[in-house]
Amino acid sequence: MSNGIKSVISDSNVATNHPTMAEPFGNALIELAKENDKIIGLSADLAKYTDIHVFRDAFPQRFYNVGMSEQLLMCAAGGLAKEGFIPFATTYATFIARRCYDFISQAICEHNTNVKIIGGLPGLQSGYGPSHQATDDLAILGSMPNLTIIDPCDALEMQQATKAVAAFNGPVYMRLLRGNRVPVVLDKYDYQFEIGKAKLLRDGADVLMISCGEMTMRCLDAAEALEKDNIHAAVLHVPTVKPLDRETILAEVKKSGRLVVTAENHSIVGGLGSLVANLLVDEQVSAVLKKIALPDRYLAAGTLETLQDTYGVSTKAVISQVKSYLN
Amino acid sequence: MNKEELIDKAYEVRKNVLRMAHVDKRGFISQSLGAADFLTVLYSHAMRFHADDPKWEGRDRFLLSAGHNAIAVYAAMAEEGFFPKDWLDTYGLDNSRLPMSCMPAYTPGIEISGGSIGLGLPIAVGMAMGLKLKNSDAKVYVMMGDGEMAEGPTWEAAMSAGAYQLDNIIGIVDINGIQADGLTNAVMDTEPLHEKFSAFKFDVQRINGNSITQVMEAVDKARNSTEKKPHMILCDTVPGTGVPFLIGNQKSHFISLDAEGWERAFSELERGKD
Repeated sequence: MSNGIKSVISDSNVATNHPTMAEPFGNALIELAKENDKIIGLSADLAKYTDIHVFRDAFPQRFYNVGMSEQLLMCAAGGLAKEGFIPFATTYATFIARRCYDFISQAICEHNTNVKIIGGLPGLQSGYGPSHQATDDLAILGSMPNLTIIDPCDALEMQQATKAVAAFNGPVYMRLLRGNRVPVVLDKYDYQFEIGKAKLLRDGADVLMISCGEMTMRCLDAAEALEKDNIHAAVLHVPTVKPLDRETILAEVKKSGRLVVTAENHSIVGGLGSLVANLLVDEQVSAVLKKIALPDRYLAAGTLETLQDTYGVSTKAVISQVKSYLN
Repeated sequence: MNKEELIDKAYEVRKNVLRMAHVDKRGFISQSLGAADFLTVLYSHAMRFHADDPKWEGRDRFLLSAGHNAIAVYAAMAEEGFFPKDWLDTYGLDNSRLPMSCMPAYTPGIEISGGSIGLGLPIAVGMAMGLKLKNSDAKVYVMMGDGEMAEGPTWEAAMSAGAYQLDNIIGIVDINGIQADGLTNAVMDTEPLHEKFSAFKFDVQRINGNSITQVMEAVDKARNSTEKKPHMILCDTVPGTGVPFLIGNQKSHFISLDAEGWERAFSELERGKD
């Protein structure tokens, strides 16, 4: 701009050692929209911060900004889906889970309406404090019948999952990894996202880590580091939090007497750890289970790197927790 | 249908209301009697649909946002053959296709679940956007209550409907003056609605919602309008219209009658006037 002020889209992710990709969700949506004229984009004044701005610029006639009206965002998406479209509605995960619950329930999920809800800043991805930290979205939305919930690990999976949810007929809530430097991790594994499938990314005899979202990336990094200390860690990635892939999780837990550690970028209440614990009790499978998760409290503001260390969800924190559980 | 025929039809609709309410001897009787005239005009005059093919793509969409008034909508739908009239005798019972609050999974021709107040206009915004994308000339009618005007999402939706010039939306507010906790203007003064919707860039009309003539004129004007604005028809209605002794018994949102009351209601039910 002439005044020298640049519009900056801040990257919510902390520095990464992995290769990165820009706007994987928005770009995947563009590719889909080229093939399917039913794809519609919606946002509530957060297009730029949910990567759907690239879709908006590519397909301006198929994008609606409803302003800061998240309740309307959900209902309008429900209305568009009723008319046969596949709306992708984006805003921050906090507003989706906390503000829009009734609207998602009544305008979308009760009728199994084909709406894709994409939530930015899931878990601890912001240093703004609780207003922007969706530490409770999996717990809140997990109680919604008919809703499929997906927590992708990296840019590659973000793209694969975007395509998969567009092809899937039914309501989906998907946590978003966004920005111009989203890490790419899963290319090193023979991986393909499938809705409802948990996948073993690496095997190991000492500890089984069961993780979702970007915590899978940190568990993989942690597993590599632990290897140097002769600790062999398996990583089971569970990108679909609902419905849970019970069979795969049970099969892995039953395989040996490994320590089981769940890891999620979410409160310890009502997320992946709770779901796995429930599953094991329901099926009378015994295991030593430890949970790496955010504490049940409103988190502090600050820098993301520090907060991730403080609350035990950084790679470093995963390594030290696994070691302490093994001792 | 001409005006005289619609007046007769509204009488039949009111009979259906009493028939349904009599199943459980209570219900949202007064409001539904008040809403009978404009619903008759919508279903038997203005809206385009195929009752035997309720999902027909070319239909005008009707969204009941104030879901508790489902009884009034069922009453009008029954006259147009969306379902057999003997369903009316099951209203609100176990396994009935006519639940107390409307839901699309239960009843053919019902588009949305309207029990959580304030969802109708927001959903209509998305449907209206979708219809425009499809180049459809179908309208989206949304029936709301005056108490519902206190719901925030109604105004989120009004703002977008105006800004996006969703001229295929025709909103109806049934201003009956009563809500769950009492008189609307005592619970929450939602007026002045004409000025409010005008400020949100709607084309607004305010009419006597119990005058078949006025409703016909207003709805015809809205649906034939070329103005690039969403439309809002504010209908002042009198709860209990058609059953004189219920008029003035307005304090009750949900009323029950004893055997004598029912006999009186059926015997007082009168053909509409204009």
